[in-house]
Amino acid sequence: MIEALILTGFLGSGKTTLLGRLLRRPEFSRTAVIINEFGEIGLDHELIEASEDSLIELQTGCLCCKIRNDLATTIHDLLRRRDEGTVAPFTRLVIETSGLADPAPVLQTLMTDAAIAARVVLGGIVTTVDAVNGADTLDREEISAKQAAVADRLLLTKTDLASPPPALMLRLKELNATAPVLIARHGEIDAHDLCNGPLYDPLTRSVDVRSWLGSAPTHEHHHGHDGIDTFALVRSEPLRAVTLTLFLEAIAEHCGADLLRLKGIVNILESPERPAVIHGVQHVFHPPTWLPGWPSGDRQSRLIFIVRGIPRRWVEALLATLDAEVAEVSASMSS
Amino acid sequence: MTAAPSDLLCELLAQSLSAWHVSGEVRRESGSAILISGGGRQILVEPAPPGLPFRWHVTVDDRKRPAISVVAVLRQTREALDPGYATQRVRVAAFPLVLT
Repeated sequence: MIEALILTGFLGSGKTTLLGRLLRRPEFSRTAVIINEFGEIGLDHELIEASEDSLIELQTGCLCCKIRNDLATTIHDLLRRRDEGTVAPFTRLVIETSGLADPAPVLQTLMTDAAIAARVVLGGIVTTVDAVNGADTLDREEISAKQAAVADRLLLTKTDLASPPPALMLRLKELNATAPVLIARHGEIDAHDLCNGPLYDPLTRSVDVRSWLGSAPTHEHHHGHDGIDTFALVRSEPLRAVTLTLFLEAIAEHCGADLLRLKGIVNILESPERPAVIHGVQHVFHPPTWLPGWPSGDRQSRLIFIVRGIPRRWVEALLATLDAEVAEVSASMSS
Repeated sequence: MTAAPSDLLCELLAQSLSAWHVSGEVRRESGSAILISGGGRQILVEPAPPGLPFRWHVTVDDRKRPAISVVAVLRQTREALDPGYATQRVRVAAFPLVLT
């Protein structure tokens, strides 16, 4: 499988600088890169000095809107050329979005295109945040807050110019309590910290659930005009598989684009020893993955929601109601 | 049907009006029925009689429709109250998140 890393972050937050540094590292020698630039003439690719085995593809436009299909086409083309041997056999794909892009449609493309999903596994989303201007940008630009909210790793850049202000760190924690905040100095970052298994570990070919779920927020955060909230539902009682299915169906149906991301580990009544890992972006969900066992002694279900304008109480009420209904139907069928 | 699902559904519908930004109210009627008033409409949600292959009846503007589950009740209620609502069904990705 080829690991895909989505690199996102607002305009000027240091994505291209970071990518340029990463591509000089031996760990990134077998990396293909897709750079998405917004504008008639792209410049970012000129700023990157790729190593010999790296490959750069350039698109103009914005991945999240008019050329979304082009992303799939570009990846198909890359894979074909890899198979034909006309490009190096890359093992990692980095997709750098434009600074104005919503990363969700990029994720959806990787999830829903069968030919891509069969060969490319989502490694994680890294979002760069400028330590100097990041706090203002997060307040002013809704898309910036969204980019931070969906990240698996948050990467603070330009820390050589200014120490990250406490308000920025607090804001990032509010937007995305589960993502570790890493610090890049002069664009340098330990590639291991950045890439190893937020979603997919190429060595173990599995998800590091504890790292991925991080420290789940225990209470709802309320924010400014962006309306982005993050909260966790923790549940001790196992869920029936049907309840989970109906719950995800209703969440997808009623939340749609306002469900920025949902991830979790679920104790399923019918499968007590093998928890299900769930992951969704807007209305698109991966099929549940069944882990071989619990990653720790904690067998509670944990569902982490990153949402825009969806009240936690509604989500809780939905789950409670579905749970009661399914339990009653199950009881009536078995009596 | 016991009272528990109706009680919980009543709370869910009240929370739903808030989540959908629809002004109105939800109240229990006689038995386990629930009356929703909002957007100039009244919607009656009642448990279906035993023996039918669905759980609820939803009546909007004198038109009574079956609802197989709470998910269907929510869908019908929102369609009636929220004119801008466009149903978006869950889409399942081509492969699981990770290999195991």
